[in-house]
Amino acid sequence: MKFRAWLAIAAGILPATLAAIVLFLALYSWQAIHFNGWGFVVRDTWNLGNLYANPIMRHGVQVQPGATYGILFLIAGTLLSTFLALLFAVPVGVGAAIFLAEAVPRALRTWISFFVELLMAIPSVVFGLWGYVVVIPFLSRHFFPLLAATLGKVIPFFAGPTGSGYGLLTAGVVLALMIVPIIAATLRDALVSQPVALREAALGLGATRFEALWKVMLPGTRRTLIGATFLALGRALGETMAVLMVSGNALNYLPHNIYNPISTMAAFIVSQLDSALQDPTGMAVRSLAEIALVLAVISVVVNALARLLLLMWNNGQRTLAV
Amino acid sequence: MSRRWILEFSQKHQGNDMTMRTAVTRRKASLALAAVLAAAALAASHAAQAQTRLLETGSSLLYPLFNLWVPAYAKSHPGVQITTQSTGSGTGIAEAVSGIAQIGASDAYMSDFQVRQHPTMLNIPLTISSQMVNYNIPGLNRAHLKLSGPVLAAMYAGKVSYWDAPAIARLNPGVHLPHARIVLIHRTDGSGDTFIFSQYLSFSTPWWNNSVGYGTTISWPAVEGGIGAEGNPGMVNACKGTPYSVAYIGISFKRIIDEKGLGEAMLQNRSGRFVLPDPRTIQAAVNATAARTPADERVSLIFAPGPWSYPIINYEYAIVNARQDAATAPVVRNFFSWALDPAGGNSPRFMQAVGFVPLPPAIVRLSRAQIAKIHG
Amino acid sequence: MSTIAEMVQRRLPKPRQIRLSRRFGSLAGWTLTGACLLVLSALMVWILVVVFMRGIGALKLSIFTTVTQGNGGGLLNAIEGTLVLSGGALLLAVPFGIASGIYSSEYPGSPWSKTIRFFADVLVGVPSIVVGYFGYVGMVQWLGWNFSVAAGSISLAIISLPYICRTTEFALRQVPNDLRDAAYSLGANERRVVFGICLPAAMPSILTGVLLALAVSVGETAPLLYTAGWSNFMWDGRLTHSPIGYLTYAIWTFINEPFASANRLAYAAALLVTGFVLIINVFARLVLERRARR
Repeated sequence: MKFRAWLAIAAGILPATLAAIVLFLALYSWQAIHFNGWGFVVRDTWNLGNLYANPIMRHGVQVQPGATYGILFLIAGTLLSTFLALLFAVPVGVGAAIFLAEAVPRALRTWISFFVELLMAIPSVVFGLWGYVVVIPFLSRHFFPLLAATLGKVIPFFAGPTGSGYGLLTAGVVLALMIVPIIAATLRDALVSQPVALREAALGLGATRFEALWKVMLPGTRRTLIGATFLALGRALGETMAVLMVSGNALNYLPHNIYNPISTMAAFIVSQLDSALQDPTGMAVRSLAEIALVLAVISVVVNALARLLLLMWNNGQRTLAV
Repeated sequence: MSRRWILEFSQKHQGNDMTMRTAVTRRKASLALAAVLAAAALAASHAAQAQTRLLETGSSLLYPLFNLWVPAYAKSHPGVQITTQSTGSGTGIAEAVSGIAQIGASDAYMSDFQVRQHPTMLNIPLTISSQMVNYNIPGLNRAHLKLSGPVLAAMYAGKVSYWDAPAIARLNPGVHLPHARIVLIHRTDGSGDTFIFSQYLSFSTPWWNNSVGYGTTISWPAVEGGIGAEGNPGMVNACKGTPYSVAYIGISFKRIIDEKGLGEAMLQNRSGRFVLPDPRTIQAAVNATAARTPADERVSLIFAPGPWSYPIINYEYAIVNARQDAATAPVVRNFFSWALDPAGGNSPRFMQAVGFVPLPPAIVRLSRAQIAKIHG
Repeated sequence: MSTIAEMVQRRLPKPRQIRLSRRFGSLAGWTLTGACLLVLSALMVWILVVVFMRGIGALKLSIFTTVTQGNGGGLLNAIEGTLVLSGGALLLAVPFGIASGIYSSEYPGSPWSKTIRFFADVLVGVPSIVVGYFGYVGMVQWLGWNFSVAAGSISLAIISLPYICRTTEFALRQVPNDLRDAAYSLGANERRVVFGICLPAAMPSILTGVLLALAVSVGETAPLLYTAGWSNFMWDGRLTHSPIGYLTYAIWTFINEPFASANRLAYAAALLVTGFVLIINVFARLVLERRARR
């Protein structure tokens, strides 16, 4: 019994850590939450105020004159880049999973899957380096002008100016590549573990192999796909370094087209901390803590949902730890 | 023991002549290389005693100068290890205040309120710098476009969005300007470059002063396509990588700007003349403004009067806490005295390499008086 | 007289039409899904080629023998720092991670173990920058540790803890219950069963999990930027009040410099980090594969 109690206490560090993170951020940003109010999420101006003036009292707290903290442009940047990433990653992930599960010979399957899944292991900052060094020049010189000249004629959001290459679409593409293995790997496992009888029944009824897969087996993995998509969503929302290096760090404006620079909540925390330290009242650092808190809460909710879905539907067959 | 091998070894490769270079140490050094991991683990228990470590962080404009200074200084002062870091002036001030860094490098001085909040902080000018406005317009990068404070303000406010706008064309008669959208680049980190650039806009353009103002971080007007870049290096890369962009970059990056073939604008000064930053125009601005420097040396030199004054010059500050621990204080004092010495850090050899101008003797006296306040 | 069969045949489309369109559909399906896989693999190859080609071009002996100086020099300080920080993180995370893994695998039905499992899964998803910011306001500022090995290692430990917990749990679950029953029937207590029977049996998989956690910490950047800081010199052995270098910082900072010497450092660092992470992953995969086959 004593042994079990010790283990239980040691294991308690996990919930304790998460609770400590959320509580500490909440306490630290309390003044900012009070000062910013709900306007925090609907204003799109992040302004430290006049740093060389004397602080004033507003709403009972000391701030620099002119200070307003709003993160609408960050929320928009985060949601749009995540949405784009999912838009690319889900179809490609599903396609790759199908082909891996059904068309690749068994002997090769393990190794090709492993190769593609290795994408998950590559550090975020290396994706950032790759995006910064080769993807941005490539997209901005060749692909974006082409896209603007074709699709841009039909959909205004795709019209130019195509800008510098740093921006929403680039961030979406890099993010997509980072999350696609989550979807591909989970779905491939689900497909492989579908009952053989299902396929045989479909083939027996005259379906082609692809039809058996697409119409009979794939629907059976729908829940897994939703769960995996949530996991991918969670990762994309919180991705920092790669986005920081390719997004263009837009400040205070919403993207007018798909090529415009953006910034995300996670990237903004990194890029703005040193500016925030300049605020002698400390309100800017606390407001950044509020962003971190919002991000923590969102990711906890998204991940909890994803795990619950996977757990309920899959009996926790496979959990993506890596 | 093993700790010392590594130190000697690494110092040797830093070009440090003062370490013992006996055959024995050299053999030990190669041993240390072979067993570097084990040695590093052992090192945990032996903190270095003879070494004093200083952390310099902040201004990316001063960074190139510190990178020249530190190896030279280390040659004559083997007991001092100075880490240099390019993080932006905002970080420099903040980390000097919090004690994380011993030397905060900044192109901006601390605000009145910050000084009242932290009365032991000193703002010590080490040298004089200036700032370029650079652009990347294919075909025009060698033309030295003429720009003024009000026109730059209008550009950064989104009121002038094309290079061939009448406001720009009026300043550049005879230049064939392209009809291309201006891509504005600004700093994302808290930056002394932002501080002096926005001061130029503020002092020359009343409406900018009233609506945006100046600071190490300002709330840039929302202009479509504007990019944020990290540090002067990020500004150079973003400007180089983005046709039709404009950026403000510290003079110490002049050489790399020229290498990358970016344009450098002539800026309109208070007398209405368009000038480039060179030793003559910077010196003219220094002569016109340095006399008004107060004892605590926090003063703006921006938009100086005088027919040949370059409009964006500034003191490069070391932000230092006067209260250091007993071991560090003399080391910091020594380093700064060396840095201010015309035969040491302020020698033309260093200044010319980064395009800075040495402090006038009167300012050196003020800085030395401040350095004397650093105590253990 | 029309039979039912005739009626059915009339309602069905002509066989030939069905066959053609369905064949075409299947072909298109295979082509598209194959293209997805091809695109993914091609992008992976592209990343590896960029990292390895540029990295190898930048690797010189001096990278391993000298410390960073301004925009040049080597990466000895960063290599040491990465090892110190990740090693410190493991030192902190392994005991707690394995303990929580044991608890959630050996007492699977209890509410506490469900809680642990759930929190481990959620903690994996917390963005690393959130952990980093927590480390900054909590340890660097509030506790006054400044940029330091302690603050950096603890931040990394928070990130690797749930990985180790979950992989330990999975590894222990693979140990057949018969083994446990046999041990209990011989009179062993819980502690003996876990430490004497289960852990040794699951050790290769647990070590693999620890290695994977190591790979994750070696590749992290965001949680270290504002906790570990950066230093051009070798670690001076102090746990607090002394910043330390690490490879991912070199990638992030030096790729952004306009100087070729700085970019070379970034490429070399990227190669070292990516190479290390890939080697660990391949090794882990081989170990797991071999155990699965057995």
